[in-house]
Amino acid sequence: MNSGPDSADVFLESLGDSPSGETSAPNTIARPLPLSSFSSIPYTVQFEINPESTAFITSSPGSPSLSATHKESLTLSSLELNLRHTVDFRAITYDGTIDENLMCPICRCPLVNPVLTDCDHIFCRECIGDSLSHSELCPIDRFPLSLKDLMKAPKMVFNQLDSLKAKCPCCNIAFARSMLEHHMEKYCPESLVRCSALHSSKKCAGVVKRRLSDQGCLHYQVQCPDCMETLEQAQMEDHCHTVCKQRLAPCEHCTTIILRHKKVEHEESCSEVCRPCQWKEYGCSYEAKQDNLQLHNDKCTFKLFGAIAENIKKEVNDLRKEVGNLKETNHLQERRIKFLESGQKASEKPFEFMDSSDANLSDTANAETLDTGHEYLLSLLEVQQNRISNLAAELSELRAKHTVMLFNETIPMKNELAELRSTQQVTCMHVRWLMRFRMQENQRRFGGGPGPAPSGPDGGGPSNEMPLGRRLSDSMTRDLITKL
Amino acid sequence: MASSQKRISKELAEVTTNPPAGITVSLVDEANVHNWNIVMDGPEGSPYAGGKFKLLLVLPTDYPFKPPKINFKTRIWHPNVTFDEHGSMCVGILKPEAWKPSSKIMSVLTATQQLLIEPVPDDALEANAAEKFKNNRAEFNKEAKEWTKKYAK
Ligand SMILES: [Zn+2]
Ligand SMILES: [Zn+2]
Ligand SMILES: [Zn+2]
Ligand SMILES: [Zn+2]
Ligand SMILES: [Zn+2]
Ligand SMILES: [Zn+2]
Ligand SMILES: [Zn+2]
Repeated sequence: MNSGPDSADVFLESLGDSPSGETSAPNTIARPLPLSSFSSIPYTVQFEINPESTAFITSSPGSPSLSATHKESLTLSSLELNLRHTVDFRAITYDGTIDENLMCPICRCPLVNPVLTDCDHIFCRECIGDSLSHSELCPIDRFPLSLKDLMKAPKMVFNQLDSLKAKCPCCNIAFARSMLEHHMEKYCPESLVRCSALHSSKKCAGVVKRRLSDQGCLHYQVQCPDCMETLEQAQMEDHCHTVCKQRLAPCEHCTTIILRHKKVEHEESCSEVCRPCQWKEYGCSYEAKQDNLQLHNDKCTFKLFGAIAENIKKEVNDLRKEVGNLKETNHLQERRIKFLESGQKASEKPFEFMDSSDANLSDTANAETLDTGHEYLLSLLEVQQNRISNLAAELSELRAKHTVMLFNETIPMKNELAELRSTQQVTCMHVRWLMRFRMQENQRRFGGGPGPAPSGPDGGGPSNEMPLGRRLSDSMTRDLITKL
Repeated sequence: MASSQKRISKELAEVTTNPPAGITVSLVDEANVHNWNIVMDGPEGSPYAGGKFKLLLVLPTDYPFKPPKINFKTRIWHPNVTFDEHGSMCVGILKPEAWKPSSKIMSVLTATQQLLIEPVPDDALEANAAEKFKNNRAEFNKEAKEWTKKYAK
């Protein structure tokens, strides 16, 4: 049998691989299967478009295929941005294991729109329809079967199917299958909505992920920095994740293949990037790769100190926050007090004010304001009392000062007064002496006329002379004092 | 037909993640799920033990409503496989009159494995081999072993 073609070669030809037998032999076995390439986008988005603007999103690689249906042609100016999503329940993934009884034997997926046959088998309506168009036999037991023998499956089957947990093809979160389309239409952050932007009074016809819909219109052309392809900004994220030919690059440090887009995130966790010791800010200058750093962490000299410092830092920050809070409340209260003070000055007729407030405010509000008002008034009163006592203390102090001052000033005056008094007494004596001398002289000149002057100046003379002299000296001192 | 592709890729995933013992599956062309390369170890206890047999499994576009086709690409001396470059095989569940759309590729593969252990001489394609299998089992085993050594290394 040497003449026949070598079996390995035949096989390899069918593979369409490299022609050399030896080198490609290992290739034929168990190559990783790119199963992802078979999964197409499992949902379609329906929307009505303006008949004029037909140039709208054409499905480009990576962008979801959009089936535009001309319905009643609602104008796009309506505020409704949500789009109806139709999900292919056979192409999505489900959470958990699914009861074998809920699987369609034809499509091997959880049943969609199940029907029951005469022979008690359940299939998707679509699947059994396809099968019967090939041969009118039950796909399981080959009993004769036709479309008219099919009936709707029991309600219980529908209920069980509705409650299956299906993962949203956009955000990958599991929902009850019956709620999935509703979720995508109204809530999913990753599903598509209409662009809300206006272009010169015309609505933008593009669609964008709901999550990005508040960033304005993203339907402008940009260039991918990695592959230089031009595309719409709205698709940039997906492009960088799944489409871009240059999206993968080896990490500079550990050489694992990573998404360029995720470089920064990777480097934060990359085991080959040198990172400083965690106590760097307290003085440790050690820097190393992940593994060595962990070794270092256990014996770092700053370990103890760092932990304490970290605690202190935390506490200080807490305190700072508290102080800030207190300052704020204090500021607020000061403002309130100021407001109340100014209010008191301004409202010179407080009773009138209270009357009007009684009339206007509802009871509950009134009670509340009164309560708080009382509090403020009380605190105000306290402040005023404090002030008054302060003033009283100041006053008594001033009084004491004043008396001391007065006392100090009056002493020299008193001294002067005493001096003046003594000089006045001296002058009084002088005047008296002079008066007596004059009177004696007069008596001698007129010779003992009305009085017994010649008989002796000491006889009756002093009785006449003395009251006069005294009277005279009295008035004279009075005059002197008043002049002083 | 998109729905058939979905079912096929589902089954492919099933077979590659959890393959039956002695069977490896890969795609001929990664863009086409309809043509599968199968490498099957000769089952222990059969004259094919120690050999590696390459098969081509072709799934029709209207799969699962039409049965898949299996051909041995490695020559094999077997009553139910033609001993030529086509390596056409006849296995019960793949016959159009017996095929059920609910059958799985997994069961097709295990049925093929079973056929190597237990040939069905009454349904033979290679009359010569069937004759020897029925009437001179020792001779059949010896010859099958020789061909296995020659082609299925
Ligand atoms: Zn089905
Ligand atoms: Zn049936
Ligand atoms: Zn979602
Ligand atoms: Zn836009
Ligand atoms: Zn790119
Ligand atoms: Zn890295
Ligand atoms: Zn350190």
